[in-house]
Amino acid sequence: MHELGVANEILDVALSEADRHAAKKVTSIRLRVGVLRAIEPENLSFLFGHLSRGTPAEGARLEIVEEPVRVECPDCGVSEASSFPFECPRCKGSGISVTGGDSLSILSLDVDA
Amino acid sequence: MGPGGNVRIEVERAILQSADEAAAAIRDLLSERKIFALNLISSPGSGKTTLIEALLARFDGKGGVAVVEGDIETEIDAERIRKHGVQVRQINTHSACHIQPFRLLSVLREMDLSETRLLLVENVGNLVCPAEVSLGEDARVVLLSVTEGDEKPLKYPLVFKTSDLLVITKTDLLPYVTFDVERVRRAARAANPAVEIFEVSATTGAGMSALLDRFETLRAAKN
Repeated sequence: MHELGVANEILDVALSEADRHAAKKVTSIRLRVGVLRAIEPENLSFLFGHLSRGTPAEGARLEIVEEPVRVECPDCGVSEASSFPFECPRCKGSGISVTGGDSLSILSLDVDA
Repeated sequence: MGPGGNVRIEVERAILQSADEAAAAIRDLLSERKIFALNLISSPGSGKTTLIEALLARFDGKGGVAVVEGDIETEIDAERIRKHGVQVRQINTHSACHIQPFRLLSVLREMDLSETRLLLVENVGNLVCPAEVSLGEDARVVLLSVTEGDEKPLKYPLVFKTSDLLVITKTDLLPYVTFDVERVRRAARAANPAVEIFEVSATTGAGMSALLDRFETLRAAKN
């Protein structure tokens, strides 16, 4: 249920941005979510739908742009993965370093002006 | 923008930014008072409270230690720590699965930290949510007991990526469980090449003094 705090903050940002731009309705919200964040999209959408009832963001669609992790292997270079790897997905080498995949941000809103 | 149209508003804002702002305020408070703070994270029952007791024994008489206990409900951990005669506060998070930085900030503002040099924060037992939120700590410590299995870094990578120290606990039980220490070390290093890894048993005392020495060095560096 850690999606609850995230859903709450998305709603706060969406409503204040909509207000600032004098928009009547928020129709969709684009998010960047890293695969390491353990965010369940269905759970997030359900909670957002519940929290946004009766607000200008009611019915807004959450579009999630997934951010993969970046795997750097000394032998075969850079690759991407959709979950945290123990070893290089290509050569199975163990000397990898893993970066990224921890984003959690609101990219943009679509609103009816 | 014309009325009636569909308009895209670019936002590009980190979610949980308000939490980061509270964490920054905690960091300022701690550095002003030269207090070294640890944020202890693990599954329930990995040994966070036991590690705090070992730290209290080590730092006894060497300047003030303050403890903040985070649990969804109950004062059980705070009562256990209070017996050691240190200042302790319990945060009950109720529905929240981690200590929120604004709660910690308001607790710290109520405490008497004039003598405090070391702050120990025991987060709610959980490997997911506490990893997402900074509490303004100087070092984040993740504990993993050998009874939990060696696949934890694979299942909960964020906490292993964001922690400065990994403490593998209950190593006296290694003969009885399937737990590949090397596999965990490898995965933790992949997540964070700078992570410092310790293996300890509070029961036999193995590895404890090396870990406590390290905490003492880290604390001394800030004071």
